[in-house]
Amino acid sequence: MIRRPQLLLVPGAIVLGLGFLVPSLLMLFSPPGTSPVEVFERLGAMLTDPYDLSIIGRTLLYSVIVTLACIVLGFPIAFLLARSRSRFTGLWLALAIFPLLLSTVVRTFGWLVILGSNGAIGQLIVALGFADRGPQLLYTPLAVVLGMTQLFLPLAIITCYSAIAQVDQNLDDAARGLGASRTRTLWTVVIPLSLPGIVVAATLVFAGATTAYTTPYLLGGTGQRVLATQLFTYASVTVNWAAASATALIMTVLVFIVSGLSSLVARKGAVE
Amino acid sequence: MRSRPVLLGLAVVGYAVMIVPILFVVVSSFTAGKTLSFPPQGFSLQWFEKALSYTPFIDALGSSVLLAIVSTILALGFGVPVALGIARGRMRSAPIIQSFFVSPLIVPELVIGLALYQQVMITLRLDSFVALLIGHIVILLPYTVRVTGATLALSDTSIEDAARGLGAGPWHTFRTVTLPLMRPGLISAALLSFITSFNNVPLSLLLQSREFRTFPVTMLDYVQQSYDPMIAAMSTLIMAGTVVIAIIAERTVGFARIFGGINQ
Repeated sequence: MIRRPQLLLVPGAIVLGLGFLVPSLLMLFSPPGTSPVEVFERLGAMLTDPYDLSIIGRTLLYSVIVTLACIVLGFPIAFLLARSRSRFTGLWLALAIFPLLLSTVVRTFGWLVILGSNGAIGQLIVALGFADRGPQLLYTPLAVVLGMTQLFLPLAIITCYSAIAQVDQNLDDAARGLGASRTRTLWTVVIPLSLPGIVVAATLVFAGATTAYTTPYLLGGTGQRVLATQLFTYASVTVNWAAASATALIMTVLVFIVSGLSSLVARKGAVE
Repeated sequence: MRSRPVLLGLAVVGYAVMIVPILFVVVSSFTAGKTLSFPPQGFSLQWFEKALSYTPFIDALGSSVLLAIVSTILALGFGVPVALGIARGRMRSAPIIQSFFVSPLIVPELVIGLALYQQVMITLRLDSFVALLIGHIVILLPYTVRVTGATLALSDTSIEDAARGLGAGPWHTFRTVTLPLMRPGLISAALLSFITSFNNVPLSLLLQSREFRTFPVTMLDYVQQSYDPMIAAMSTLIMAGTVVIAIIAERTVGFARIFGGINQ
Protein backbone atom coordinates (compact mmCIF):
# COMPACT_ATOMS: atom_id res chain seq x y z
CA MET A 1 0.00 0.00 0.00
CA ILE A 2 2.63 2.47 1.08
CA ARG A 3 5.79 1.87 -0.86
CA ARG A 4 8.31 3.04 1.70
CA PRO A 5 6.58 3.16 5.10
CA GLN A 6 9.92 3.57 6.89
CA LEU A 7 10.14 7.14 5.58
CA LEU A 8 6.97 8.04 7.50
CA LEU A 9 8.72 7.12 10.76
CA VAL A 10 11.80 9.26 10.21
CA PRO A 11 10.61 12.72 11.40
CA GLY A 12 8.99 11.27 14.54
CA ALA A 13 12.05 9.16 15.29
CA ILE A 14 14.33 12.19 15.00
CA VAL A 15 12.16 14.20 17.44
CA LEU A 16 12.09 11.32 19.90
CA GLY A 17 15.81 10.70 19.56
CA LEU A 18 16.95 14.29 19.95
CA GLY A 19 14.21 15.40 22.34
CA PHE A 20 14.06 12.37 24.59
CA LEU A 21 16.64 9.60 24.22
CA VAL A 22 19.80 11.69 23.81
CA PRO A 23 18.97 14.20 26.59
CA SER A 24 17.95 11.40 28.97
CA LEU A 25 21.17 9.46 28.41
CA LEU A 26 23.30 12.60 28.61
CA MET A 27 21.57 13.52 31.87
CA LEU A 28 22.65 10.24 33.41
CA PHE A 29 26.14 10.11 31.98
CA SER A 30 27.21 13.71 31.65
CA PRO A 31 25.22 16.35 33.54
CA PRO A 32 26.52 19.91 33.05
CA GLY A 33 29.85 20.48 34.75
CA THR A 34 30.05 17.04 36.38
CA SER A 35 31.38 13.67 35.37
CA PRO A 36 29.37 10.45 35.17
CA VAL A 37 31.49 9.10 38.02
CA GLU A 38 30.09 11.81 40.26
CA VAL A 39 26.47 10.79 39.48
CA PHE A 40 27.14 7.20 40.45
CA GLU A 41 29.15 8.20 43.53
CA ARG A 42 26.22 10.35 44.58
CA LEU A 43 23.84 7.47 43.84
CA GLY A 44 25.91 5.18 46.08
CA ALA A 45 25.95 7.80 48.83
CA MET A 46 22.17 8.21 48.60
CA LEU A 47 21.53 4.51 48.93
CA THR A 48 23.44 4.44 52.23
CA ASP A 49 22.53 7.85 53.68
CA PRO A 50 19.73 7.58 56.29
CA TYR A 51 18.13 10.90 55.23
CA ASP A 52 17.99 9.99 51.53
CA LEU A 53 16.80 6.49 52.37
CA SER A 54 14.00 7.95 54.49
CA ILE A 55 12.85 9.97 51.46
CA ILE A 56 12.87 6.86 49.24
CA GLY A 57 11.06 4.94 51.98
CA ARG A 58 8.42 7.66 52.41
CA THR A 59 7.86 7.87 48.64
CA LEU A 60 7.35 4.11 48.44
CA LEU A 61 5.12 4.00 51.53
CA TYR A 62 2.85 6.74 50.13
CA SER A 63 2.73 4.94 46.78
CA VAL A 64 1.75 1.62 48.36
CA ILE A 65 -0.98 3.19 50.52
CA VAL A 66 -2.36 5.28 47.64
CA THR A 67 -2.33 2.25 45.30
CA LEU A 68 -4.26 0.15 47.85
CA ALA A 69 -6.74 2.97 48.47
CA CYS A 70 -7.31 3.51 44.74
CA ILE A 71 -7.95 -0.19 44.09
CA VAL A 72 -10.16 -0.67 47.18
CA LEU A 73 -12.27 2.39 46.27
CA GLY A 74 -11.90 2.22 42.47
CA PHE A 75 -12.73 -1.45 41.88
CA PRO A 76 -16.20 -1.26 43.50
CA ILE A 77 -17.04 1.85 41.45
CA ALA A 78 -15.81 0.19 38.25
CA PHE A 79 -17.71 -3.02 39.06
CA LEU A 80 -20.99 -1.26 39.86
CA LEU A 81 -20.70 0.87 36.70
CA ALA A 82 -19.80 -2.09 34.46
CA ARG A 83 -22.68 -4.21 35.77
CA SER A 84 -25.30 -1.49 36.18
CA ARG A 85 -28.31 -1.32 33.89
CA SER A 86 -29.35 2.15 35.04
CA ARG A 87 -29.65 4.85 32.41
CA PHE A 88 -27.52 7.17 34.55
CA THR A 89 -24.48 4.89 34.26
CA GLY A 90 -22.97 7.02 31.49
CA LEU A 91 -23.30 10.11 33.66
CA TRP A 92 -21.62 8.45 36.66
CA LEU A 93 -18.85 7.19 34.42
CA ALA A 94 -18.36 10.70 33.00
CA LEU A 95 -18.23 12.06 36.56
CA ALA A 96 -15.43 9.60 37.37
CA ILE A 97 -13.46 10.55 34.24
CA PHE A 98 -13.97 14.33 34.36
CA PRO A 99 -11.40 15.00 37.16
CA LEU A 100 -8.72 13.63 34.79
CA LEU A 101 -9.25 16.70 32.62
CA LEU A 102 -8.46 19.11 35.45
CA SER A 103 -4.94 20.10 36.36
CA THR A 104 -3.41 18.55 39.47
CA VAL A 105 -3.10 22.06 40.91
CA VAL A 106 -6.86 22.69 40.70
CA ARG A 107 -7.70 19.29 42.15
CA THR A 108 -5.17 19.54 44.95
CA PHE A 109 -6.25 23.08 45.80
CA GLY A 110 -9.64 21.72 46.93
CA TRP A 111 -7.93 19.95 49.83
CA LEU A 112 -6.47 23.24 51.05
CA VAL A 113 -10.06 24.53 51.33
CA ILE A 114 -11.10 21.43 53.25
CA LEU A 115 -8.06 20.66 55.41
CA GLY A 116 -6.61 24.15 56.03
CA SER A 117 -6.78 25.62 59.54
CA ASN A 118 -9.76 27.78 58.45
CA GLY A 119 -11.01 24.94 56.29
CA ALA A 120 -14.25 23.06 56.35
CA ILE A 121 -13.17 20.28 58.71
CA GLY A 122 -11.48 22.71 61.10
CA GLN A 123 -14.58 24.95 61.20
CA LEU A 124 -16.80 21.94 61.77
CA ILE A 125 -14.70 20.78 64.73
CA VAL A 126 -14.83 24.29 66.26
CA ALA A 127 -18.57 24.57 65.62
CA LEU A 128 -19.21 21.24 67.30
CA GLY A 129 -17.23 22.43 70.31
CA PHE A 130 -14.49 19.79 70.17
CA ALA A 131 -11.74 22.41 70.07
CA ASP A 132 -11.26 26.19 70.20
CA ARG A 133 -9.13 26.25 67.06
CA GLY A 134 -9.22 24.07 64.00
CA PRO A 135 -6.49 21.42 64.01
CA GLN A 136 -3.75 21.61 61.37
CA LEU A 137 -4.54 18.78 59.01
CA LEU A 138 -2.45 20.13 56.16
CA TYR A 139 1.21 19.15 55.82
CA THR A 140 0.46 15.72 57.29
CA PRO A 141 0.85 12.28 55.68
CA LEU A 142 -2.96 12.00 55.73
CA ALA A 143 -3.31 15.10 53.55
CA VAL A 144 -0.82 13.76 51.00
CA VAL A 145 -2.50 10.35 50.86
CA LEU A 146 -5.98 11.88 50.47
CA GLY A 147 -4.76 14.25 47.75
CA MET A 148 -3.02 11.54 45.74
CA THR A 149 -5.94 9.12 46.12
CA GLN A 150 -8.22 11.78 44.64
CA LEU A 151 -5.70 12.36 41.85
CA PHE A 152 -5.28 8.73 40.75
CA LEU A 153 -8.71 7.25 41.52
CA PRO A 154 -10.12 8.06 38.03
CA LEU A 155 -7.21 6.17 36.46
CA ALA A 156 -7.91 3.12 38.65
CA ILE A 157 -11.64 3.27 37.85
CA ILE A 158 -11.34 3.44 34.05
CA THR A 159 -8.67 0.74 33.92
CA CYS A 160 -10.68 -1.63 36.15
CA TYR A 161 -13.87 -0.75 34.26
CA SER A 162 -12.40 -1.81 30.91
CA ALA A 163 -11.22 -5.09 32.47
CA ILE A 164 -14.54 -5.89 34.17
CA ALA A 165 -16.57 -4.96 31.07
CA GLN A 166 -14.67 -7.67 29.18
CA VAL A 167 -15.70 -10.35 31.67
CA ASP A 168 -18.83 -11.97 30.22
CA GLN A 169 -21.75 -11.22 32.49
CA ASN A 170 -23.19 -14.67 31.68
CA LEU A 171 -20.38 -16.10 33.83
CA ASP A 172 -21.65 -14.10 36.84
CA ASP A 173 -25.15 -15.35 36.12
CA ALA A 174 -23.95 -18.95 35.75
CA ALA A 175 -22.17 -18.81 39.10
CA ARG A 176 -25.26 -17.33 40.71
CA GLY A 177 -27.45 -19.96 39.06
CA LEU A 178 -25.23 -22.70 40.47
CA GLY A 179 -25.90 -21.32 43.93
CA ALA A 180 -22.92 -19.05 44.62
CA SER A 181 -23.66 -15.96 46.68
CA ARG A 182 -23.08 -12.52 45.15
CA THR A 183 -19.94 -12.10 47.27
CA ARG A 184 -18.61 -15.52 46.27
CA THR A 185 -19.31 -14.79 42.59
CA LEU A 186 -17.36 -11.56 42.89
CA TRP A 187 -14.34 -13.20 44.54
CA THR A 188 -14.23 -16.41 42.50
CA VAL A 189 -15.38 -15.20 39.05
CA VAL A 190 -15.15 -11.46 38.45
CA ILE A 191 -11.98 -10.60 40.40
CA PRO A 192 -9.83 -13.49 39.06
CA LEU A 193 -10.93 -12.83 35.47
CA SER A 194 -10.31 -9.09 35.67
CA LEU A 195 -7.07 -9.48 37.65
CA PRO A 196 -4.73 -8.52 34.77
CA GLY A 197 -6.64 -5.23 34.47
CA ILE A 198 -6.50 -4.65 38.22
CA VAL A 199 -2.73 -5.23 38.13
CA VAL A 200 -2.38 -2.68 35.31
CA ALA A 201 -4.48 -0.18 37.29
CA ALA A 202 -2.31 -0.71 40.37
CA THR A 203 0.86 -0.22 38.32
CA LEU A 204 -0.37 3.03 36.75
CA VAL A 205 -1.36 4.42 40.16
CA PHE A 206 1.89 3.29 41.78
CA ALA A 207 4.03 4.84 39.02
CA GLY A 208 2.02 8.05 39.19
CA ALA A 209 2.26 8.27 42.97
CA THR A 210 6.01 7.56 42.99
CA THR A 211 6.65 10.48 40.63
CA ALA A 212 3.91 12.92 41.76
CA TYR A 213 5.15 16.42 42.54
CA THR A 214 2.23 18.84 42.98
CA THR A 215 0.36 17.02 45.74
CA PRO A 216 3.28 16.28 48.10
CA TYR A 217 4.54 19.83 47.46
CA LEU A 218 1.26 21.59 48.28
CA LEU A 219 -0.22 19.24 50.89
CA GLY A 220 2.93 17.77 52.43
CA GLY A 221 4.99 20.91 52.90
CA THR A 222 8.63 20.63 53.89
CA GLY A 223 8.04 17.89 56.45
CA GLN A 224 6.88 15.29 53.93
CA ARG A 225 9.66 15.34 51.34
CA VAL A 226 9.45 12.74 48.58
CA LEU A 227 11.70 11.89 45.61
CA ALA A 228 9.91 14.27 43.22
CA THR A 229 10.10 17.33 45.49
CA GLN A 230 13.70 16.43 46.33
CA LEU A 231 14.60 16.21 42.64
CA PHE A 232 13.17 19.68 42.05
CA THR A 233 15.12 21.09 45.01
CA TYR A 234 18.38 19.61 43.71
CA ALA A 235 17.74 20.89 40.17
CA SER A 236 16.42 24.36 40.93
CA VAL A 237 17.31 25.47 44.42
CA THR A 238 20.66 23.93 45.35
CA VAL A 239 21.65 23.26 41.69
CA ASN A 240 23.36 19.98 42.46
CA TRP A 241 23.33 18.22 39.09
CA ALA A 242 24.88 14.98 40.28
CA ALA A 243 22.28 14.65 43.04
CA ALA A 244 19.41 15.61 40.70
CA SER A 245 20.51 13.02 38.12
CA ALA A 246 20.94 10.36 40.79
CA THR A 247 17.45 11.07 42.17
CA ALA A 248 16.02 10.91 38.65
CA LEU A 249 17.74 7.57 38.16
CA ILE A 250 16.28 6.16 41.40
CA MET A 251 12.78 7.34 40.42
CA THR A 252 13.02 5.87 36.92
CA VAL A 253 14.39 2.54 38.16
CA LEU A 254 11.58 2.25 40.75
CA VAL A 255 8.97 2.80 38.02
CA PHE A 256 10.72 0.30 35.71
CA ILE A 257 10.88 -2.37 38.43
CA VAL A 258 7.19 -2.04 39.24
CA SER A 259 6.15 -2.03 35.55
CA GLY A 260 8.36 -5.07 34.90
CA LEU A 261 6.95 -6.99 37.88
CA SER A 262 3.39 -6.15 36.89
CA SER A 263 3.80 -7.29 33.29
CA LEU A 264 5.25 -10.56 34.63
CA VAL A 265 2.23 -11.00 36.92
CA ALA A 266 -0.18 -10.08 34.13
CA ARG A 267 1.45 -12.56 31.73
CA LYS A 268 1.36 -15.32 34.33
CA GLY A 269 -2.31 -14.55 34.95
CA ALA A 270 -3.02 -14.75 31.23
CA VAL A 271 -1.32 -18.15 30.89
CA GLU A 272 -3.26 -19.64 33.79
CA MET B 1 -27.56 -2.86 44.03
CA ARG B 2 -29.50 -2.94 47.30
CA SER B 3 -27.88 -6.16 48.43
CA ARG B 4 -24.33 -4.87 47.97
CA PRO B 5 -23.87 -2.55 50.97
CA VAL B 6 -20.08 -2.93 51.18
CA LEU B 7 -19.44 -2.20 47.49
CA LEU B 8 -21.91 0.66 47.50
CA GLY B 9 -20.35 2.14 50.64
CA LEU B 10 -16.84 2.02 49.15
CA ALA B 11 -18.13 3.55 45.91
CA VAL B 12 -19.73 6.44 47.82
CA VAL B 13 -16.44 7.10 49.65
CA GLY B 14 -14.59 6.95 46.31
CA TYR B 15 -16.86 9.46 44.63
CA ALA B 16 -16.70 11.73 47.69
CA VAL B 17 -12.88 11.75 47.60
CA MET B 18 -12.91 12.57 43.87
CA ILE B 19 -15.70 15.14 43.73
CA VAL B 20 -16.05 16.88 47.12
CA PRO B 21 -12.76 18.85 46.92
CA ILE B 22 -13.76 20.12 43.46
CA LEU B 23 -17.18 21.21 44.76
CA PHE B 24 -15.54 23.05 47.66
CA VAL B 25 -13.40 25.01 45.21
CA VAL B 26 -16.41 26.03 43.14
CA VAL B 27 -18.55 27.01 46.16
CA SER B 28 -15.80 28.97 47.91
CA SER B 29 -15.03 30.98 44.77
CA PHE B 30 -18.35 32.84 45.16
CA THR B 31 -17.56 34.11 48.68
CA ALA B 32 -18.10 37.75 49.59
CA GLY B 33 -15.51 37.41 52.36
CA LYS B 34 -11.82 38.27 52.27
CA THR B 35 -10.38 34.87 53.12
CA LEU B 36 -10.79 31.33 51.97
CA SER B 37 -12.96 29.87 54.70
CA PHE B 38 -15.81 27.47 54.71
CA PRO B 39 -18.77 27.94 54.67
CA PRO B 40 -18.31 31.02 52.43
CA GLN B 41 -19.50 34.37 53.74
CA GLY B 42 -22.22 35.73 51.48
CA PHE B 43 -22.32 35.63 47.70
CA SER B 44 -20.35 37.79 45.30
CA LEU B 45 -18.47 37.69 42.02
CA GLN B 46 -15.65 39.95 43.32
CA TRP B 47 -12.98 37.21 43.17
CA PHE B 48 -13.80 36.46 39.55
CA GLU B 49 -13.26 40.13 38.75
CA LYS B 50 -9.94 40.09 40.63
CA ALA B 51 -8.82 36.89 38.93
CA LEU B 52 -9.60 38.24 35.47
CA SER B 53 -7.72 41.47 36.10
CA TYR B 54 -4.65 39.79 37.65
CA THR B 55 -2.19 40.01 34.74
CA PRO B 56 0.26 37.22 35.74
CA PHE B 57 -2.64 34.74 35.48
CA ILE B 58 -3.94 36.08 32.19
CA ASP B 59 -0.46 36.20 30.63
CA ALA B 60 0.26 32.66 31.78
CA LEU B 61 -3.11 31.50 30.48
CA GLY B 62 -2.21 32.91 27.05
CA SER B 63 1.20 31.22 27.17
CA SER B 64 -0.32 27.87 28.11
CA VAL B 65 -2.97 27.99 25.39
CA LEU B 66 -0.33 28.93 22.80
CA LEU B 67 2.01 26.15 23.95
CA ALA B 68 -0.82 23.59 24.02
CA ILE B 69 -2.02 24.49 20.51
CA VAL B 70 1.44 24.54 18.92
CA SER B 71 2.60 21.33 20.61
CA THR B 72 -0.66 19.54 19.75
CA ILE B 73 -0.32 20.49 16.07
CA LEU B 74 3.34 19.43 15.97
CA ALA B 75 2.72 16.20 17.90
CA LEU B 76 0.00 15.31 15.38
CA GLY B 77 2.31 16.32 12.53
CA PHE B 78 5.01 13.94 13.75
CA GLY B 79 2.74 11.26 15.22
CA VAL B 80 0.18 10.70 12.47
CA PRO B 81 2.76 9.66 9.81
CA VAL B 82 4.23 7.25 12.38
CA ALA B 83 0.77 5.77 13.07
CA LEU B 84 0.19 5.45 9.32
CA GLY B 85 3.55 3.78 8.78
CA ILE B 86 2.89 1.29 11.59
CA ALA B 87 -0.70 0.51 10.58
CA ARG B 88 -0.29 0.40 6.81
CA GLY B 89 3.38 -0.34 6.25
CA ARG B 90 3.20 -4.15 6.63
CA MET B 91 6.47 -4.05 8.52
CA ARG B 92 7.43 -7.10 10.55
CA SER B 93 8.91 -4.99 13.31
CA ALA B 94 5.73 -2.87 13.77
CA PRO B 95 5.16 -3.85 17.45
CA ILE B 96 8.74 -2.90 18.36
CA ILE B 97 8.44 0.40 16.48
CA GLN B 98 5.16 1.11 18.29
CA SER B 99 6.75 0.50 21.69
CA PHE B 100 9.66 2.77 20.78
CA PHE B 101 7.27 5.62 20.03
CA VAL B 102 5.25 5.19 23.24
CA SER B 103 8.39 4.79 25.37
CA PRO B 104 8.27 8.36 26.83
CA LEU B 105 5.17 7.22 28.74
CA ILE B 106 7.15 4.98 31.06
CA VAL B 107 9.77 7.58 31.99
CA PRO B 108 8.63 10.00 34.73
CA GLU B 109 7.83 13.42 33.22
CA LEU B 110 9.88 15.14 35.89
CA VAL B 111 12.88 13.11 34.68
CA ILE B 112 12.27 14.13 31.03
CA GLY B 113 11.96 17.72 32.26
CA LEU B 114 15.27 17.49 34.12
CA ALA B 115 17.01 15.99 31.08
CA LEU B 116 15.75 18.77 28.80
CA TYR B 117 16.55 21.43 31.39
CA GLN B 118 20.15 20.26 31.69
CA GLN B 119 20.80 19.54 28.03
CA VAL B 120 18.64 22.03 26.15
CA MET B 121 18.51 25.04 28.43
CA ILE B 122 21.82 24.85 30.32
CA THR B 123 24.15 23.19 27.81
CA LEU B 124 22.67 24.40 24.49
CA ARG B 125 21.35 27.69 26.01
CA LEU B 126 18.11 27.45 24.06
CA ASP B 127 15.03 29.46 24.92
CA SER B 128 12.57 28.11 27.49
CA PHE B 129 9.74 28.10 24.92
CA VAL B 130 11.80 25.84 22.63
CA ALA B 131 12.64 23.50 25.52
CA LEU B 132 8.98 23.37 26.61
CA LEU B 133 7.84 22.74 23.05
CA ILE B 134 10.30 19.83 22.64
CA GLY B 135 9.24 18.38 26.00
CA HIS B 136 5.53 18.66 25.29
CA ILE B 137 5.88 17.12 21.81
CA VAL B 138 7.82 14.21 23.34
CA ILE B 139 5.13 13.48 25.95
CA LEU B 140 2.24 13.97 23.48
CA LEU B 141 3.75 11.81 20.72
CA PRO B 142 2.80 8.51 22.43
CA TYR B 143 -0.84 9.62 22.57
CA THR B 144 -1.02 10.75 18.94
CA VAL B 145 0.69 7.56 17.71
CA ARG B 146 -1.41 5.26 19.87
CA VAL B 147 -4.81 6.92 19.47
CA THR B 148 -4.70 7.53 15.70
CA GLY B 149 -3.06 4.10 15.33
CA ALA B 150 -5.96 2.45 17.16
CA THR B 151 -8.47 4.06 14.77
CA LEU B 152 -6.44 2.96 11.75
CA ALA B 153 -6.12 -0.59 13.06
CA LEU B 154 -9.91 -0.83 13.38
CA SER B 155 -10.62 0.57 9.93
CA ASP B 156 -11.05 -1.62 6.90
CA THR B 157 -7.99 -1.52 4.59
CA SER B 158 -9.95 -3.02 1.70
CA ILE B 159 -11.63 0.38 1.12
CA GLU B 160 -8.20 1.86 0.47
CA ASP B 161 -7.26 -1.06 -1.75
CA ALA B 162 -10.50 -0.56 -3.69
CA ALA B 163 -9.72 3.13 -4.23
CA ARG B 164 -6.23 2.26 -5.48
CA GLY B 165 -7.67 -0.52 -7.66
CA LEU B 166 -10.09 1.97 -9.19
CA GLY B 167 -7.12 4.08 -10.23
CA ALA B 168 -6.78 6.68 -7.46
CA GLY B 169 -3.20 7.76 -6.73
CA PRO B 170 -1.69 7.31 -3.26
CA TRP B 171 -2.20 10.98 -2.27
CA HIS B 172 -5.77 11.02 -3.62
CA THR B 173 -6.55 7.80 -1.72
CA PHE B 174 -5.08 9.23 1.47
CA ARG B 175 -7.08 12.46 1.18
CA THR B 176 -10.43 10.95 0.23
CA VAL B 177 -10.37 7.59 2.04
CA THR B 178 -7.74 7.27 4.78
CA LEU B 179 -8.12 10.78 6.23
CA PRO B 180 -11.90 10.50 6.72
CA LEU B 181 -11.37 7.05 8.29
CA MET B 182 -8.89 8.59 10.72
CA ARG B 183 -11.12 11.51 11.69
CA PRO B 184 -12.33 10.17 15.09
CA GLY B 185 -8.75 9.25 16.00
CA LEU B 186 -7.47 12.69 15.00
CA ILE B 187 -10.13 14.49 17.04
CA SER B 188 -9.46 12.25 20.07
CA ALA B 189 -5.70 12.68 19.82
CA ALA B 190 -6.00 16.45 19.42
CA LEU B 191 -8.30 16.94 22.43
CA LEU B 192 -6.27 14.56 24.59
CA SER B 193 -3.02 16.27 23.59
CA PHE B 194 -4.39 19.76 24.22
CA ILE B 195 -5.63 18.87 27.73
CA THR B 196 -2.43 16.98 28.59
CA SER B 197 -0.22 19.87 27.48
CA PHE B 198 -2.36 22.57 29.06
CA ASN B 199 -2.38 20.85 32.48
CA ASN B 200 1.23 19.72 32.52
CA VAL B 201 3.17 20.65 35.65
CA PRO B 202 6.34 18.48 35.83
CA LEU B 203 7.88 19.64 32.53
CA SER B 204 6.89 23.28 32.88
CA LEU B 205 8.15 23.38 36.46
CA LEU B 206 11.76 22.94 35.37
CA LEU B 207 11.59 24.49 31.91
CA GLN B 208 9.88 27.78 32.77
CA SER B 209 11.63 31.13 32.61
CA ARG B 210 10.77 34.64 33.70
CA GLU B 211 9.61 35.44 30.16
CA PHE B 212 7.58 32.30 29.60
CA ARG B 213 5.58 30.69 32.39
CA THR B 214 2.69 28.31 31.98
CA PHE B 215 -0.63 28.62 33.75
CA PRO B 216 -0.52 25.57 36.11
CA VAL B 217 2.95 26.54 37.34
CA THR B 218 1.89 30.16 37.91
CA MET B 219 -1.07 28.91 39.91
CA LEU B 220 1.11 26.48 41.84
CA ASP B 221 3.51 29.26 42.86
CA TYR B 222 0.64 31.53 43.84
CA VAL B 223 -1.01 28.82 45.96
CA GLN B 224 2.28 28.11 47.70
CA GLN B 225 2.61 31.81 48.69
CA SER B 226 -0.94 32.42 49.81
CA TYR B 227 -4.24 30.83 49.08
CA ASP B 228 -7.09 33.25 48.74
CA PRO B 229 -10.45 32.94 46.99
CA MET B 230 -8.94 34.33 43.76
CA ILE B 231 -7.35 30.93 43.10
CA ALA B 232 -10.73 29.30 43.68
CA ALA B 233 -12.32 31.70 41.17
CA MET B 234 -9.59 31.05 38.61
CA SER B 235 -9.99 27.28 39.11
CA THR B 236 -13.75 27.59 38.64
CA LEU B 237 -13.25 29.48 35.37
CA ILE B 238 -10.83 26.81 34.13
CA MET B 239 -13.33 24.11 35.08
CA ALA B 240 -16.01 25.88 33.07
CA GLY B 241 -13.64 25.90 30.07
CA THR B 242 -12.93 22.21 30.61
CA VAL B 243 -16.65 21.42 30.64
CA VAL B 244 -16.87 23.05 27.19
CA ILE B 245 -14.07 20.76 25.96
CA ALA B 246 -15.87 17.77 27.51
CA ILE B 247 -19.06 18.70 25.65
CA ILE B 248 -17.16 19.04 22.35
CA ALA B 249 -15.66 15.60 23.04
CA GLU B 250 -19.08 14.08 23.74
CA ARG B 251 -20.62 15.61 20.60
CA THR B 252 -17.82 14.43 18.28
CA VAL B 253 -16.31 11.08 19.26
CA GLY B 254 -17.65 10.45 22.76
CA PHE B 255 -16.36 11.70 26.09
CA ALA B 256 -15.67 8.31 27.71
CA ARG B 257 -14.04 7.07 24.52
CA ILE B 258 -11.59 9.95 24.27
CA PHE B 259 -10.65 10.56 27.88
CA GLY B 260 -11.36 7.16 29.40
CA GLY B 261 -10.42 4.98 26.46
CA ILE B 262 -13.79 3.29 27.02
CA ASN B 263 -15.95 2.09 24.14
CA GLN B 264 -19.50 1.79 25.32
